[in-house]
Parts: sequence; C-alpha cells; structure tokens
Amino acid sequence: MSSAHDWINNPLDIVDGMFAAAQTELASGWELKVVEFFKDKLKEDTLAAVPSLNDIPLHYLKPNSLVKFRCLIQDMFDPEFYMGTYETVDLSTKAKVSRCGRYKDVTECGVDLNSRNTVTAERQTFYCVPIPGENTWVKESYASYSQARVVPSTSYVPTRQKRSYEEDEDDMDDMDYQPQKQREPNGPQNPAEQHGNGECKRQETEAPSNQKTSASHLDLNFPLPGEKGPSCLVKVYEDWESFKVNDTLEVYGILSVSPALSALADEKDVSSSMLDPTEYMETAEEQRVHRPPASLVPRLHMLYARPLPHNNPLLPLTTLEDNSAFLSSTLGDMMCVRSELLAYFTHILLGDALAAEYLILHLISDVYSRRDALPLGKFTLNISGCPTVASYTQRFYQIIQQLVPSSYYLAMSLQNMNQMRLIPKKDYVANRLVSGALQLARNTLLFLDETQLEQGQLDTTGVRNVTALGNVISWQKVDYDFNYHQMEFPCNINVLITSEGRSLLPSDCQIHLQSQVSQAQVEEYLSSIHVHPQVSSQLNKFRIYLSMARQLDYSISNEMTKSVEDDFVDMRKDDPESVSAEDLHRLLVVARLLSLSLGQASLCRDTWLRAKHIDALRRSRTERHKSVNGNEP
Amino acid sequence: MWIIVTHRDYRMPCYSTKGGFLQEFYTEDDNGKKVFKYGVQLVALAHREQVSLFVELDDVSEEDPELVESICENAKRYTALFADAVHELLPEYKEKDTVAKDSLDVYIEHRLMIEQRGRDPAETRDPRNQYPPELMRRFELYFKPPTTTKPKVVRDVKADTIGKLVSVRGIVTRATEVKPMMAVATYTCDQCGAETYQPIQSPSFMPLIMCPSQECVTNKSGGRLYLQTRGSKFVKFQELRIQEHSDQVPVGNIPRSMSVYARGENTRLAQPGDHVAITGIFLPLLRTGFRQAVQGLLSETYLEAHSITLMNKTEDDELGSEELSDEELRSITEEGFYEKLAGSIAPEIYGHEDVKKALLLLLVGGVEQAPKGMKIRGNINICLMGDPGVAKSQLLSYIDRLAPRSQYTTGRGSSGVGLTAAVMRDPVTGEMTLEGGALVLADQGICCIDEFDKMADADRTAIHEVMEQQTISIAKAGIMTSLNARCSILAAANPAYGRYNPRKSIEQNIQLPAALLSRFDLLWLIQDKPDADSDLRLAQHITYVHQHCRQPPTHFTPIDMKLMRRYISLCKRKQPVVPESLADYITAAYVEMRKEARVSKDTTFTSARTLLSILRLSTALARLRMLEVVEKEDVNEAMRLMEMSKDSLQADKSSTTRTQRPSDVIFSLVRELATEGVAGRTGAGGVVRMAEAEQRCVSRGFTPAQFEEALEEYEELNVWQINQARSRITFV
Repeated sequence: MSSAHDWINNPLDIVDGMFAAAQTELASGWELKVVEFFKDKLKEDTLAAVPSLNDIPLHYLKPNSLVKFRCLIQDMFDPEFYMGTYETVDLSTKAKVSRCGRYKDVTECGVDLNSRNTVTAERQTFYCVPIPGENTWVKESYASYSQARVVPSTSYVPTRQKRSYEEDEDDMDDMDYQPQKQREPNGPQNPAEQHGNGECKRQETEAPSNQKTSASHLDLNFPLPGEKGPSCLVKVYEDWESFKVNDTLEVYGILSVSPALSALADEKDVSSSMLDPTEYMETAEEQRVHRPPASLVPRLHMLYARPLPHNNPLLPLTTLEDNSAFLSSTLGDMMCVRSELLAYFTHILLGDALAAEYLILHLISDVYSRRDALPLGKFTLNISGCPTVASYTQRFYQIIQQLVPSSYYLAMSLQNMNQMRLIPKKDYVANRLVSGALQLARNTLLFLDETQLEQGQLDTTGVRNVTALGNVISWQKVDYDFNYHQMEFPCNINVLITSEGRSLLPSDCQIHLQSQVSQAQVEEYLSSIHVHPQVSSQLNKFRIYLSMARQLDYSISNEMTKSVEDDFVDMRKDDPESVSAEDLHRLLVVARLLSLSLGQASLCRDTWLRAKHIDALRRSRTERHKSVNGNEP
Repeated sequence: MWIIVTHRDYRMPCYSTKGGFLQEFYTEDDNGKKVFKYGVQLVALAHREQVSLFVELDDVSEEDPELVESICENAKRYTALFADAVHELLPEYKEKDTVAKDSLDVYIEHRLMIEQRGRDPAETRDPRNQYPPELMRRFELYFKPPTTTKPKVVRDVKADTIGKLVSVRGIVTRATEVKPMMAVATYTCDQCGAETYQPIQSPSFMPLIMCPSQECVTNKSGGRLYLQTRGSKFVKFQELRIQEHSDQVPVGNIPRSMSVYARGENTRLAQPGDHVAITGIFLPLLRTGFRQAVQGLLSETYLEAHSITLMNKTEDDELGSEELSDEELRSITEEGFYEKLAGSIAPEIYGHEDVKKALLLLLVGGVEQAPKGMKIRGNINICLMGDPGVAKSQLLSYIDRLAPRSQYTTGRGSSGVGLTAAVMRDPVTGEMTLEGGALVLADQGICCIDEFDKMADADRTAIHEVMEQQTISIAKAGIMTSLNARCSILAAANPAYGRYNPRKSIEQNIQLPAALLSRFDLLWLIQDKPDADSDLRLAQHITYVHQHCRQPPTHFTPIDMKLMRRYISLCKRKQPVVPESLADYITAAYVEMRKEARVSKDTTFTSARTLLSILRLSTALARLRMLEVVEKEDVNEAMRLMEMSKDSLQADKSSTTRTQRPSDVIFSLVRELATEGVAGRTGAGGVVRMAEAEQRCVSRGFTPAQFEEALEEYEELNVWQINQARSRITFV
C-alpha cells in the first residue's frame, strides 16, 4: 500500500494538482478530468481496496481519504452555493494564490472575499442512510470482501494513534473489545464536547451506558426503527438530476469530518441573533438536521457513484448481459438449485409443496415496468392458514431473512399499526423528510405478520397506515405526506403477508397453507429445522439463485401471445365466472415468474400450462377452504 | 459591494429617462383623457397616503425596452436609482401640507427645519452627519416584472440568476413573525449633542462608538455615541420559506424550497399553506465576522421580495394561466375529439367508452342555474356500480388525479371528520372549531367516494343535502352554519350480493335508498359479461401490456393529462344556454320517457330530476364543444347516455328472453314465505302452511290451478314435500 494508493489516502492532492495545472494552462474542464481519473482508477479490482463506511467505524478512517458508502438516498436538501474557486492572501508576502473549493468543506486561511476571481458554483446535498433492512449476512459478506484486501496498517494507524493520545486507558480498552464491524450507535452528545475535536466525540458515542437517555438528541432518521450505522451527507457535484429519492448507490467520495463543521452549528450566539432577525429563520432543529456534527454524520464529497441494481454481495454488480461467464455458469445449475430450494421451502412450509412453489415465485418478483398507475410484475403473496403456535411466523421470517439481501419484519399488531410511522412526512420545522418504515429500497421484502393482529380499535394513524400498506400492495406507491399536499413516490417492495384467515389487506395471490404437520407437532417440527442449519455454501447457492432469477431477461413471443389469448377466450366460454381480466393479469405474471425461476428467457407452452395448472390447484384449494368454513356451525 | 466606477455608468443613461418616465408616463382612459399613472401615485406618496410604489416594467418597456432588460439583470441597483429619482421628485408633487403620521415624520420634519434654518449652504458636512436618504424616505419602491416573463420553478433558480429579478411560484411552508429591522441607526453624542447616522444594509452591524463630528474631533473631547431608538428607522421584516408545487417536482425528487425576505409592505401577506407567486431579487446572503470565516465556502441565498401575490389554489393557477396555443387547440378539437377526450381518460383501462364519456362530462360539469333565487346545481353526479374487479376504483383514482381539485375517500374511510364536517375542540385554546370533511374540501371540485354502499349512516344523510343543495348544514355544539360543498360526486359501489343481480331492483342490489339514488344523474352498472369477441380483445390488450411493457398502439395517442386539464378549465368558462327552439323538443322527449317508464316495468326512476339531468348533460356537452348554445345533437347525446346507463342496469337481454313460468314465480313466493317463517319463529324453518301459501299466490294473481300445478311440479323435483293432509309444505 504505497504510492500506488495515494489516490485513496490523499485524493485531495490529486484534485489540487489537477486544479493547479489547469490554472497555469488556463485550461478548462479540469473538473471532468478529475472525475475521469477516479472513474479510471476505480475498476473492479481496486474497488475493494477502498475502505467502506459501512464496515469500518468512522474513527478508524482517515479524514480526507477516499471511502465508499453503500446507501439509500433518504432525503434531498436544497442546493448549496459554494466558492468553486477563490483566492487567498498570504499575510506576510501578500501573494495571492488561487484555490479550489470543490470537494472541500472548509476554506484555507486568509480568503480574499473581494477578489474578482471568485467563482460561485452549485452543489447538491443528499442525506443518505445505509440500505434499510439490509440483512446481517449481506453486511458480513461485504465486509469480508473488503477487509480481505485492505491491509489495515496504512490507512488506520495514524488516526488510531492520535486517538490514543487523547483517550484514557479505559476507553481504549473498551474500544479494543469492540469488533471492528460494529456500527456507531447514533447517540449521545455532550454539548460541551461539540466544540472539540471530532475524534473525541467518537468516544462518547461508544459508551453504551447513556445511549438510551439521549438517543433522541440527534435522530439520524433511519426508515426502520432499530437500525444502526452511519448516515452521511453526500455532496454531489455533477449530474444530480439523475438521482432519485430511494435510489440505492455505492458512493465513492472524499470523507470530510472537519470539526469546524460542528463548530459552525454551535457558534450561534444568543446575543448576536437578537439584533439579526434573519438568524431566527433557521431553527435549532433545522441546524441540527442540516449541519449535524461531522463526527456523527460525516460529509462525503462524491467523486463517483455506482447505482446498485441489487445489494447481493454474491452477485457481480454489472448487468448480467455484460457478465456472460457468470450467467452461463449459474444458469446450468439453476434447475438443480431450484429443486433443492423447493424442497427446503416445502420443509419449512410444513410440507406444502404448492405454497413453496409460490414462495419462490414471490421472492423473485419485481416491478419491471409501470404503465400509468398500473405496476407490472408485482406479486404480493398472502399465505393464509399459518399456525399460530410456536411463533411459527417469526421463525419463518428468520429463515427467509437468511436468503434475501434486505427484508423487514412488520408485526401487524394493533399497537404497531396505531403508533408506527409508515409514511414519510415532511417536517417543515426541521426542513427534512422524516422517514417512515415504507421508505424502502427496491426489492426489499416486507414481511407482514397478520397473525399478530388482535381485536381492537384502529385510530386515525392506524387507518392511514393500513391504507398506506394497501396502496403499496395494489399500486406499489407510497404517498409521502408533505403537509399541504401529498406526493406520490413509486416503490418496488415485495410484500409477503402471513395470516390465519384471508388477509384484510389486498393481495395478488392468496394461498392457504396445507400443513402436513399437526398443530401440536409444529414446535417439535420447527426445532428440527434449526437443528440442521443449512451449510453456508448451500445458502449461498440459494441466495445467488433468488437474486439472479430476478435479474434475467424475459419476453413473450407473438405465437405464444396468440395462444394465450385463445386460451383465455376458451376459458371464458366454458365458464365466464371463472376467469376475469384480473385473473389473466395474474396468470401472465405467474407464467413470467415461473419461466424466470426455471431460467427460461421466454414463455413456452409448457410453462404456460404449468402456470395455469398451479393456479387452478391454488384456487381449488382456496375454494375448498371457503366451503369448509362455510359449513362450520 | 457596488463599485463607484460602474456606478456612473448606470446613472448616465437612465437618470434622465426614469425621472422623465415617472413624470411623463400616461395612459389614456376611455374619454381620451391622459391619466398620469405614476404622477398620481407620486402625489399620494408625497402626502404619505401611499407607501409602496410599483413600477411596472411593462410601462417602462414602452419607453425604453433596453432599460427593462438592464433592470431585470441588475434589479437591486436600479431599485436604488429609481428610489433616488422618486425622492428628488417628491417635493414637486407636494400639493398641501400633511399631518405627521408618526413620530418619525415629526422627527424628519424637525431635522429638515433645523437644517434649513441654521446651515450655511456652502458648508460641506461630514457625510455621516448628513441625513441619509434612507432615513428621510418614507416610501418603498418595487418593480413589477414584465408580463412576458414566465414564472420560474424554484429548482431552476440557480447561481446564474443571482442579482436578477425573478418570479417564482410555490407554497409557503413557513413564515416568521414580523419583526422590526433597523434600516438607519441614529446616535447622539453625549458631549456635543451632534447626531450621527448609520445606514444598515446587512443583517448585522457594528455600532459606532466615537463621535465623528467636527467639534468632538477637533476638541478631542472623546464624545461617546448613544443609540437613539426613536430617531432610528426600522422597517418591518418577515422571512418566508416557499416550496415548489407538487406538479413542478420531477418524479422521485423531493420538492425544493427557498428563503424569501419580505420587508415593509410586503410583510404579512402570506401564511403557511398559501399558494403564492413572488417576484424578487435573488441575492446571496453576506455574513460578517466569525461566521463568514467559518462558513467558508458556502454562501446562503435568499429572494428579496418585490411583490407577493396570493393565488387561491384554483385550477388555472396551477395550470399556468397561458392560453392554449392554436396548435394545442387544433390537436384537441380535430375530428372525433369527443371520443378522443373520453378515450384519454384512464387509457390503461380497456373499453367502457360510454362510462368514460360520462366521466368526461362530469369533469366539465353542466351550467348552474339560479332562476329567481332557486339554485339548480350544474354539477353532475355519477354512481358506478359493478361486480368486484371491473376497475371501478381505478377509474375513480384516475379522475382523482386528473381533476384539478378533488378528494378521494372511501365510505369507510373514517376519520373523526368523515365526509361532512365535524366540530372539534381545539386542544390549545379550548375553542370549538369546524373542521371540514372530504365533501367540504372538495368544494368546486370532485369528490370521489369509493365503497359508497358501506358508508356510515350519518354521512349518508348528509350526502342527500350535498347532492341537491350543494351545502352542508351544521348544527352542533352551538355552531349553526352552512358550508358550501359545491362538488360533483363520483361514487363507486359494490353490489350487495357480491355480483349484481339484474332481476332485483337497484335499491336491493346496492342497498341504498331510492332518494339517494335518484340524486345521481347517471347510474352506471359495469358488468363483466362474457362475450367471445370482447374477451379476445381484452386478452389481446392484457397480453400486449405484459409482452411489451406498454399500451398497445391505438388509433389515437391519449391526450396528455396537463393539456386535458387546461382544456377542461377552458371549457368551464363557457356558459351555454338552452335555446327556446329546443325547449319543446326536450319536453316532448321527457314526456315520452315518462310514458315509456310507466309502460315497461322499470327498475330506475324517471322523474323531474331526470329532466334536469338531461339539461345538465347537454350543457356539459355544449361546453365541451366550446359553444354558447346547446344544440340538438347535444340533447340527443345526453339522452343516449341516459339510455345507455339505463340499459346497463336492465337485466341481460339475452337471458331474460326466457319468460318466467308461473310455477317458477310461485315457487319463489313460497320460498320467500318459508324464509320469513324462519325469521319469525325460530325452529320452524322450511315449513310453510299450505293455506297461507295459497292465499299469497292468489293475491298475486295466480289461479289456484296454477298453484296446484306448481306444487306437483316441484314435489316431483324433490324440492319440497307435501304432507298427507296437504296442509304443510316442507322444504327439503
């Protein structure tokens, strides 16, 4: 890790160098050159060498070094105007030097404010949080990739030593016990310390004792409760129109944790603001949100960002077409993995193979297109008839959690429904979008456990929450609450509902679980699953399979379309009650998912028949269940 | 900030112009008399009857178009220049002595008098001891932008607009209290008594300490300055935060916001939640001292407001007031535009052309009539009924999105307020306040109510009033009032028995009272009828969508939602009338309909309300064609729609060809009797006394012979059994 990695440890030197060169040559477009340079450097093999904010605690990272951050854009702030170029005057020599303000938060000393060479430029700030609901196996696996290649010595040592000078022994010990992967708890801040060095505050936050009491002091605004990890203010210099709220990105940028940033927030003097009415405008809340202490919410000056089509560490990030080698190697296995997975799910679903089949289809579903209000490809599954004993649904979720990259378990208890914030809401006092549990990245699995629902009264929030869930299921959209109006944000969330009877929420497809295990034995049966945990290589195969099937291309040929149409007309002729337009929609989605799960890129006759067959099975089962219920006294 | 050298350049070309402009600009009124627009205002300013002077750049451009350009480019500077000119002109316009309005007026008068009395005109004074113009001025000068400039979107106001005059639109999200802000600080010296003035431009300032007067400086007496509150000039100051309208935000982005500083007369104009159009100068905020150093690279910006106009959130404001261009108009009004417009409603939903046409008319609305104080609503109410899963809700939600003002609610969507209005106790003050429900909020718009049949009874009664009188009366907790609810109602209801049963009446089918149903102009039953031909088309549509991820190509491209909104708002301005010549035709048609209704056993009602509905629909059609007079075709089309809507409710023609045989009817009568028995006496289910049954049937006009026949027929079918004594019928 020597000079070759200067661009990681000291990217600003390169930026300044290029800026200086451009100044002397009077050439323009140096900004692009910088971006090109880093893009060029950041190739597949070097990406892992860049330390990641997700895995490494902030205080181990060198300020002003290049870091990466896997995140979701939670909020977009207003653009900032900054001095792109400015001049400084050396007090002793009176010499003027041009400086560059790009990728920096703090100016050098002695800025000449009246200089005519000052260039004002604009940049955009995004508030980014780690991908909500990202499962532990994903985090661990990403971490293991990067740590395998980064030799910790060079990049971490300087900061660590610095810390040890400042900290007393106890704290130091504390630190060493902490595994390196552990996240920063968002937390306590001693106001007195805020003026001080950013490093010292780190220590404060590590102390677990007073976490609870002051956790609300700085709300990091994670969509899901109980999330951990750093959030980040990402400054974007180019092309910010292309980013959208809720996009998942891997940002490569220059880390800035200058303590001056925190000082700025605290500097507000009561006496001065008395005479300055404009000071009142920015409320304390807004200050706290937009300029949080840099030690808690670091700034990241974006050099390059990769949009993440998925966050499965086992899959290459490039699109599958570009990676034909990987594609062909896994495609061959697909059938085999599928049958293993089917067996595994059948086992978990108490021996119900049909439900297992549908579960696979659900897990690879994806909204692939939208036409006006109509999202295509969504496939919300409602598994009814779940046993309520032995916290079956929770265990079921834990198993699924092992397979999908991000997921969230939402117990639909009355209390949760009435109290949780599901819909993001704009807070005009703090001028930010307060996140809600439905602000999720694409393809996140939302596991709704309706078995937790009990009788009682839903209040206004509860009704709204249930409506919001219904909207997500039917339209794949969330109406964010902007107080004066609502704004519709499209989403792409896989919703899986487990319930005893038919769910109160709408769903695309309901399947009643046919348990081969009697209620009394469920407990025993379930524990047997946990006794034989799947070997990790097997799990990895499943994980790759699920993420991959979702990414495959799919098409329907014209001949196939014709035969589907004829089929539909025939079915209607026989029994018009049996199929409606909605059923055809669903059948086409099932056929699509079935084809994908089998690794087929286009619909064939067999798959269509099979889709029809399993749908008929499912429906007959639902009807049978209905009639059984009807006859009950 | 402004450099002296450039200063002169500004002054030279325009000084004569604008002084002259303000004095000489005139418009001619109807009588050809010259009205000196600004001259009149200058007089008012001189007499302290007017505070703010708006210079309309449209007027300036008549004199000097180039000047307008430079004003827009460098508005701050020109504000000062124009203000100087006005200040110099004012004494000329003073026609009478004015009474001092406040202490500052008195103060200024005093100072001026002293100056005139005691000074040697040749003596030059320390500039700081002179009265700064800001102190003496009691007027405010603002620019009104040329009407040709388009308002910008907040996100388009970028660094290159700094210093320029811009217009933006948005919604106010925050407004601070109005506070006094010091404009000129006045000090007196404790030694020599001389006054010193300090004009203040920035948000904060450094107070002066040492007296700069000739006396103190030469005597080195070290006079201290003290701030005089009464002699200082303060202006009202308020800061607003505005946010973009939701329709200006690209998909997937968060709305941007912007700070606006309002001074003087521009304060207290807007409150949070108001829609405003603001013209102002986009400026960087300069910080001083430590803040500046530490802030370093960043500079904050704000918009210094010149004019703030409130917009009530009606359709044309949101749509942009610009008229439809000829090209756009042509694209809409070409051949078959009615079908095209209707087809553009929810293009993703296949078929239902007539329903869509009806919805289009609902959007346009009929003409409201108020002859002799009696109000006849113009809004069209439509109820969509239908089997589950026939895209009723989709149609509703599309209309909700398309209509400029609408509320979407479900019959069950129960907040405390519900549909109408609720009296709430304010938690802070304890006062009773009225809170409007969906119907009130949808005033002048459309209220879409899904699951209409599942509505709470209280709301249902309130809806009666809304649907005819278009008001909501409240008499609760000492509050008695009537709220406007001039909205069209678009309802969707599910049939009571899961599927619509054409053999039953509408009331039975959706369990709504006839009084309510008759208030709907059109009742539409969307049924899922099997038909090989349409099935195939449906299947083709759906498979196409799945195959190509988009709509199948149609013979037209759907009209863009925004264009549609604008066209509809244009249509709404027309007020077509029914000509005398058509009156007879309509009455004749109505009489015919009544006759028909009497003859055929009709499940719907034909009443005077039907006649009104036809009138409403035909005026809406005339509006759609942008005509001032209703034509015969409009009436015909209105009646056709009525007919179609009735048709949809009639039992399926093909299946009803089989007339019911008497024995079938008798069977159903007996069965009805049996179920009544169950309800009455528990335990006796399925048993009917023969005599009772016979009596019922005879009373319905069946002969005893027919009754006997039916008894035998159904006994053979093993549906019921008759005991030996032939006194009881028992259902199997």
